[in-house]
Amino acid sequence: MTKAKKYWKGLAELNNDPIVEKLAQKEFVDEIPVNEFLGDSELDSSSTSRRDFLKFLGFTTAAATLAACEAPVNKVIPYVVKPEEINPGIANYYASTIYDGHDFASVLVKTREGRPIKIDANKSAVNARIQSSVLSLYDSARLRNPMKDSVESDWATVDSEISTQLEAISNKGGNIALLTSTIISPTTEKLIEDFSAKYGNVKHVQVDAVSYNGMLEANLSSFGLRALPTYSFDKANVIVSFGADFLGNWGNTDLESQWALGRKPEDGKMSKHYQIESTLTLSGSNADNRLQIKPSEQAGLLSNLYNALNGSTADSRIQKITTDLLNNKGKSLVVCNSNNPDVQLIVNAINDILGNYENTLTLSHPSYLKKGNDTDVATLISDMNAGNIDALITYNVNPSYSLVDSSDFNAGLAKVSLKVSTSLYMDETAINMDYVCPDNHNLESWGDANPSHGEFTLMQPTINPLFNGRQFQDSLLSWSGSNTKYYDYLKNYHSYDWEENLHNGYYSVICNEIPIFKWYLKSEWDTLVPSFQLIKSVGIEFEIAEKIAMGDGSQSNNPWLQELPDPLSRACWDNYLTMSATTARDLGVKNWNVSNGALNGSMVNITVGEKTLENVPVMIQPGQAKDTVSLAVGYGRTLSGKCGNEVGVNAYPLSNGGGATITLVEGTHEFAAVQLHHTMMGREIVKEASLSDYIKDNKSGNETVLYATHDGNKKASEVSLWDEFDHSTGHFWNMSIDLTLCTGCSSCVISCHAENNVPVVGKEEVRKSRDMHWLRIDRYFSSDMTRELSEEEKISAIQMYAEMEDPSENPEVVYQPVMCQHCNHAPCETVCPVAATSHGAEGQNHMAYNRCVGTRYCANNCPYKVRRFNWFQYSDNDKFDYNMNDDYGKMVLNPDVVVRSRGVIEKCSMCIQKIQEIKLDAKKSGTKVADKDAQTACSLACSTNAIVFGDSNDESHVISKLKDNSRKYDLLEHLNTAPSVFYQTKIRNKA
Amino acid sequence: MILLNKLKKRLLFLTVLFTISLQSFAQIDGEALYKTNCTACHNIGGGRLIGPDLQGITERRDAEWLKSWINDNAAFRKSGDKDAIAIFEEYKGSVMAAFYFEDEEIEALLSYLANPPLEEVSVSKSNDFLSSEEEGMSNNTQLVIFLILLFVVITVLVSVKNSLKESLSQDTETVPESILRFVSKNRNKFIIGLGLFIFILYIIFNLLMGIGVVEKYQPDQPIAFSHTIHAGDNGIDCNYCHSSARDSKHSGIPSVNVCMNCHANIVEGTNTGKEELQKIYDAVGYNPETREYIKDYKQKPIEWIRVHNLPDLSYFNHSQHVTVGGLECQQCHGNMQEKTVGQVATMEELNNQENNIKDGIEFDHPTLTMGWCIDCHRQKEVNMENNDYYTEMHDKLKAKNDNGKITVEMIGGLECGKCHY
Repeated sequence: MTKAKKYWKGLAELNNDPIVEKLAQKEFVDEIPVNEFLGDSELDSSSTSRRDFLKFLGFTTAAATLAACEAPVNKVIPYVVKPEEINPGIANYYASTIYDGHDFASVLVKTREGRPIKIDANKSAVNARIQSSVLSLYDSARLRNPMKDSVESDWATVDSEISTQLEAISNKGGNIALLTSTIISPTTEKLIEDFSAKYGNVKHVQVDAVSYNGMLEANLSSFGLRALPTYSFDKANVIVSFGADFLGNWGNTDLESQWALGRKPEDGKMSKHYQIESTLTLSGSNADNRLQIKPSEQAGLLSNLYNALNGSTADSRIQKITTDLLNNKGKSLVVCNSNNPDVQLIVNAINDILGNYENTLTLSHPSYLKKGNDTDVATLISDMNAGNIDALITYNVNPSYSLVDSSDFNAGLAKVSLKVSTSLYMDETAINMDYVCPDNHNLESWGDANPSHGEFTLMQPTINPLFNGRQFQDSLLSWSGSNTKYYDYLKNYHSYDWEENLHNGYYSVICNEIPIFKWYLKSEWDTLVPSFQLIKSVGIEFEIAEKIAMGDGSQSNNPWLQELPDPLSRACWDNYLTMSATTARDLGVKNWNVSNGALNGSMVNITVGEKTLENVPVMIQPGQAKDTVSLAVGYGRTLSGKCGNEVGVNAYPLSNGGGATITLVEGTHEFAAVQLHHTMMGREIVKEASLSDYIKDNKSGNETVLYATHDGNKKASEVSLWDEFDHSTGHFWNMSIDLTLCTGCSSCVISCHAENNVPVVGKEEVRKSRDMHWLRIDRYFSSDMTRELSEEEKISAIQMYAEMEDPSENPEVVYQPVMCQHCNHAPCETVCPVAATSHGAEGQNHMAYNRCVGTRYCANNCPYKVRRFNWFQYSDNDKFDYNMNDDYGKMVLNPDVVVRSRGVIEKCSMCIQKIQEIKLDAKKSGTKVADKDAQTACSLACSTNAIVFGDSNDESHVISKLKDNSRKYDLLEHLNTAPSVFYQTKIRNKA
Repeated sequence: MILLNKLKKRLLFLTVLFTISLQSFAQIDGEALYKTNCTACHNIGGGRLIGPDLQGITERRDAEWLKSWINDNAAFRKSGDKDAIAIFEEYKGSVMAAFYFEDEEIEALLSYLANPPLEEVSVSKSNDFLSSEEEGMSNNTQLVIFLILLFVVITVLVSVKNSLKESLSQDTETVPESILRFVSKNRNKFIIGLGLFIFILYIIFNLLMGIGVVEKYQPDQPIAFSHTIHAGDNGIDCNYCHSSARDSKHSGIPSVNVCMNCHANIVEGTNTGKEELQKIYDAVGYNPETREYIKDYKQKPIEWIRVHNLPDLSYFNHSQHVTVGGLECQQCHGNMQEKTVGQVATMEELNNQENNIKDGIEFDHPTLTMGWCIDCHRQKEVNMENNDYYTEMHDKLKAKNDNGKITVEMIGGLECGKCHY
């Protein structure tokens, strides 16, 4: 039945826009003006004859050839005294921690010749932003020296002046405030205590750019503990999320892998995931059932659910959820993104009466990743405005940019006599400060973290500080008048097994469970839980969103992240108001494609409360609830650096959940979306089945395409004209991508960037479909309505057809990572006139860049459209002023992979440099390649294990089993390209 | 007769000369003895090191005393010689090894010490030092010079002939006329012309094929380092200095601390004296006089010139070839132990390598070109014994391939992507 489903790649295709048809027929919408050129009358009168032209051509060719004959003299400079652990050409790995106030991960840092070049997961999963932070290290926009009144100074001057002033403030009994991000480092907390002890009257305020205050306060009032619970999504049979994007940005990076553990159709059991939200999020797009609500309905619906669980009638939309939850007591999980403590109180009550505490979530071993306190921040701002704060020191925060009431903050700041920032950049806040004492990047710092109860991670420097910065902790020590170095302080604190723990990067201590203040009886909850009415509001509501790429915006000057396409909208270098098609129609807002396929959109002014944002572009986003709009934070920076400045608009000042007034304004916005540069033409690209069908027949949804021949129906592989490669000896490297587990999180895309020196090309080029991503994650929307559903839910045929016509309101979404499929019958190899792309016996499709002459036949002949052409020289080119045009930025390049030049095709190599390396290691140690060592950059980064890589000729490798799995299929298998990369059908646990 | 007499005299002179030089070779070389055994601790006229300055030592002490001291100073001291004990105490108990030289050796050594060369050893400038290495012209240059000589000879002969003809009042002729007459008389003039044309084409072709070929490339290095002395004379293993060749893609230029393992004590070079060694001391901050590292010295790295330049587009890994493939360094680098600074070996040199002959490798392309790599990958047998990585692959390949020789090519050694990524 899946065949009846039509996937479409964008609204233009759904609406049968003529442009789609036109593009499908022909690559170039406009005629190439051959006649116009040849008909140029000036050509006839030109004095340059054909002969002259050939002479010039001959001369320049000869001159260029001669110029190329001289070999350059290269220097080779060894160490004077070589550190014992560094061997040029061999990577060193260091366990460390990345925490920027927003994202946290225990990581493994790969360094080459003393330069960190890649970040991989150690104890926790790494998302796209954490992996990109290695490039932020080499950001040349970072401050080089301490600043005094925006003029470069030196540490001695700055330190003595700050200390003197702090002393003076302390002596007259003034107030000192420390405004920081959540501090998860126990030693930093202790240092702040020391600092407070020295000066007295020190107020420490923690703030999270994206606040979790509601949850923290709710937990404080219910259980006496201001912390977040630790979740176990893997133990939950039923997951109900009210707007919490736990697969994307909500909570921590490990939730995604937990979720994936419960999604194994082979076990015959999958968790059932309901998502109830207004803005389509990563979690919503991966949910089995998704319910669209307006932000204002959330509280009412939760109240309704709470009551329904206690026996009253549930709202028709959540009846099934109620039944499922009641049937899975102790094995379910309800989460919510609300920042209202009262709403979170209901969530606590629901989880408690379902008996989920200590099963699927726990507060006995709480998570400390978020501690921000909105009340404290508000008090601080009013104190500052009242002139009660004499000194302000900020750390890891950018309040002038990221606070809702940043204007109040700025006004108050003017009244503070000593203002010190420890920002790495001269950012929106630092520019207003008297002193900026630049912190070091995580990769240059010592440190520790206590992400959850009893768990500790350590941070160690992997490179000498690039600039004359100093880490915040050392600054604090210096201002506290201490001569201790932070390193000694840290080592002293974690003295037990220091060497070994530092090597591992983390350690656990067995400690007592935190006694929970109180557990409640059902009747007690009734008195505590506030009741909200389920009212449907009129008018448009606004919701704050967070993009996978940008997060809170602290890394907005990172070109990798700017160019990372959003998994849902597929647009990069932008934020935009997302809006449903219906709302857009009502407002007269449009999205349309221009002649080269690029996407343009209308712009609007949006007013939420008293604040107005002007000229905000609108992206019509299927899945956005009717009469709701959302805008991602992290954009609209003004002082982040050349990449991040003036990209998008700043959404922070708009209050979340408020009513919005939207007016269409003149003007067109140009989006850079990597969609619609090639249509799927209704073919079956993603295969899919429901869990119930899969249990009945494990080939369900994975029917093989057959060709009619005179011998009867045959598989494409049986009527092949190709000669087969002999894969019986040696390795046969294969990759399996499980579409059930792929959440679209894009971690693999950044991992690929870092590993393979993929260039950044900028917004203009992306608009021309010249993005260079070796790995893209295609996203297809489908209709929620199917024939099965209509039969099951007794929906009339008329209504069913009506809903099938109009699927955009709440589509099902599938993600499909597509890289070079490494076909063993490769269409690209046969057409290359210079044999630049050829086949390897181990199953890879090789690409010799130095042999390529740039005809692009291969790209034209590739059915998967994975080959990328270097239209320009992307390195050392001022027109592409990103990391490859910057002496610091270039330090992130992987020395094992060549930087491609202009005029050649490039594509996924299946990380051949990594394969060669693991083979060599195995040969040197005289062992076979172990399954865990066989990893590509993407498989290494995949936290859900959707991407599995290995040698299918080796039975100890998981891939050899996956190859025979009933869900395995080849992309476009009717073409008989026999790829080395294959997919596993998507199974949804649809009821 | 006169001529014969002259020749006899010369022969006699040569014989005498030969005998004299032979005699001088038969003597024990005091200088060599000094350099091998003494320079680590002593110096002539350069001040005290670990041991005293030996300038004028033969005048200060008599030969018998010196002999006893050199042969076994510990025993000599025990015998109660006051001077010996005083010297020992002056140098804070630094023990000098016992040498037990033959009497002739001691004599040679002492006579060397009595008349040391005024300037220690003539220290050649690094450039002169290097240019002496660049002996032997390419065949093409030799040919061109030969042709020019030929032309000059013809011109001279023609002019002689003309002057003779002039004296006989005959018609003179120019050089080309002479050649033309010669050719026209010759029936094969077309064949000669054709031959010449092909010859020129051949030269041009060779010239073009030589573009990018770096055989014999031996750039001047900042230090006149000699592989002959280190790897040749002293037999130091290549891997001692180029230690990462076993583990890494790079063979690695030794860092100065590796040099200092020996040169902290060996402060004087065989060929170049102190000047070249001073360069490594300048880099690391070391005082060879006091034998101490200079405190808080700002170290300066040595900027060597890279000899084996592979372009970025090709990936090469030393450890794959050295550790896994079991190749000897000389199989690709030639007899580096007989050279001074690094040089790209020629194909011919490599084809004469014992190990290459043993492995049945014969190169057909110039060193460091892709064809050269391929030549070896086509011929070299992969050593799969005693390596579990290969076991299964080996059995399967053997079954497929009757003669049993599994070359690098057969396990994918010719695939583009193995080196180009």
